[in-house]
Amino acid sequence: MIVLQSSDKETFEVEEAVAMESQTIKHMIEDDCVDTSIPLPNVTSKTLAKVIVYCKKHVVKDKTCDHEEELKKFDVEFMKGLDQDTLFDLILAANYLNIKSLLDLTCQTVADMIKDKSPEEIRKIFNIKNDFTPEEEDAVRQENAWAFE
Amino acid sequence: MLLKPIIFIWFLYNLCTIQIKVAFSTTAKVGSVRKSKCFDYCFRCRCFLNLDEGSGKDGCCTLIMRAGKPGSLMMLEPGKPPPAKKARKERTRGKLTGTTISTEIMDQQVWKDFPEDLFEAVIARLPIAAFFRFRSVCRKWDSLLTSQSFSQQCEQVPQLQPWFYTITHENVNTGAMYDPTLKKWHHPTVPALPTKLIVLPVASAGGLVCFLDIGHRSFYVCNPLTRSFKELPARSVHVWSRVAVGMTLNEKSTSGGYKILWVGCDGEYEVYDSTKNSWARPGCMPSSVKLPLALNFRSHAVSIDRTLYFMRSDPDGIVSYEMGSGLWKQYIVPAPLHLSDHTLAECRGRIMLVGLLTKNAATCVCIWELQKMTLLWKEVDRMPNEWCLEFYGKHVRMTCLGNKDLLMLSIRSRQMNRLVTYNVSRREWLKVPGCVLPRGRKRQWIACGTAFQPCLTALA
Repeated sequence: MIVLQSSDKETFEVEEAVAMESQTIKHMIEDDCVDTSIPLPNVTSKTLAKVIVYCKKHVVKDKTCDHEEELKKFDVEFMKGLDQDTLFDLILAANYLNIKSLLDLTCQTVADMIKDKSPEEIRKIFNIKNDFTPEEEDAVRQENAWAFE
Repeated sequence: MLLKPIIFIWFLYNLCTIQIKVAFSTTAKVGSVRKSKCFDYCFRCRCFLNLDEGSGKDGCCTLIMRAGKPGSLMMLEPGKPPPAKKARKERTRGKLTGTTISTEIMDQQVWKDFPEDLFEAVIARLPIAAFFRFRSVCRKWDSLLTSQSFSQQCEQVPQLQPWFYTITHENVNTGAMYDPTLKKWHHPTVPALPTKLIVLPVASAGGLVCFLDIGHRSFYVCNPLTRSFKELPARSVHVWSRVAVGMTLNEKSTSGGYKILWVGCDGEYEVYDSTKNSWARPGCMPSSVKLPLALNFRSHAVSIDRTLYFMRSDPDGIVSYEMGSGLWKQYIVPAPLHLSDHTLAECRGRIMLVGLLTKNAATCVCIWELQKMTLLWKEVDRMPNEWCLEFYGKHVRMTCLGNKDLLMLSIRSRQMNRLVTYNVSRREWLKVPGCVLPRGRKRQWIACGTAFQPCLTALA
């Protein structure tokens, strides 16, 4: 069993296989640079709890069709209940802990949230500066006008 | 003859169609076999649908035609319960992950600190059209197409359904593209190819489409989405006769390079290697392949792993070429009777045949699968009878666009052009909305085209 310590000093005991879903943790264990517990200063306990739920479900390497379907359903339910704060924290945690499948899932969710928005809304949401000149912006819009139809 | 009409009126709770099930039971003269005919009346299409075909037994048929949004008629197999939820999902136009997720208001306070290096992972997962809209967000997002890291992200995203690049009768210079996931036609503002060229698509792989000009002289390779374009160097032939063309990838994506093969009726062939940007003659056609090679030029070559399969006649069959070893093989496969406008296709490694079957005045689109042990075609599916009735007594031509998993069939008679997609593994026939220019009303006729994998970062 491995002990994980969140940024707010809460500890979580998990099986080694579950913890190793995270490539970051896997390397720490393999490189032997941890003793009793693994500190994760970038992940809060709230987020870590969710990550552990995800990893526990995905650690089973059953390649059957049924299991794949079951995982897909789990993923949908897992994403459904999240508020935007938690989703944001989850993406950062998945990135830091290097859990590819969770990162793919959360990024896909964000993609689905923004896909029908306009470029102006995108800039507003992510606080992105419009660095086109008006002429350049017109040219880009014109070139890609077919996608707006 | 006893006639007992029994009328059931079922109102579907979404009131999209009203089905009147009319069951007639008649006693046939021969023996005492009772045959019941079921008819479904669809108010939307205003037609009685004879469901005779699927009902093996006495009693009512369970074959139901469900109409969702115009253009999404779907046939179900007999015995399967109607997926009520599926019709509604189709009507929400491709929002597969939930009906409200993309209308959710995003809190700027949360997202303004989204890390720069994670944008690419999100953008790579957007629907294709959304990506092109968002190019006008900022310069960085506009330049992602040439970013190596973005290209790597795109390669990790599971492959979507192919798109179709089509050439219309009305405008041979610019292609119209069809997205089967959202059931939408797109008309690029800037044509993918230089407008002075008149070319036809002959092959596609890894998001790139290979074109041949109508004089059969020059080859061009292009990514229809990004207009990455290249004219291939000249071939070493002097007689520009018609050739069949096949295209394969060296590795999993176009970044590893691709090969294009052309073969002529005289058995001459050459292979282009994109990593060397040159044509080469790897060898000669073996004597086991009968010459002249009567190739079916309308059938695009099928590629499975790194082997190309071409259709031939005289004798009827298939000729294959393995890119790695350079080996040609011939398989003699008798063609089904009354067959016309046929093309090869493939699904999960199995070779299929798509074609028109015309008997007396009735025409039907049929699908066969090649039985590898016996080298015979076995019929595995047919276009729903109701749709085939439209072609009764007419002279019909068919073009098949795409030849892998998802096909688009353009069926033309003198006055109409019907478009249908066929999903080979799901055996699903779907009507395709008419191709209409933006701010136009006239439906364009689809002459020919090909399927291609929408890949943002494939470079010619």
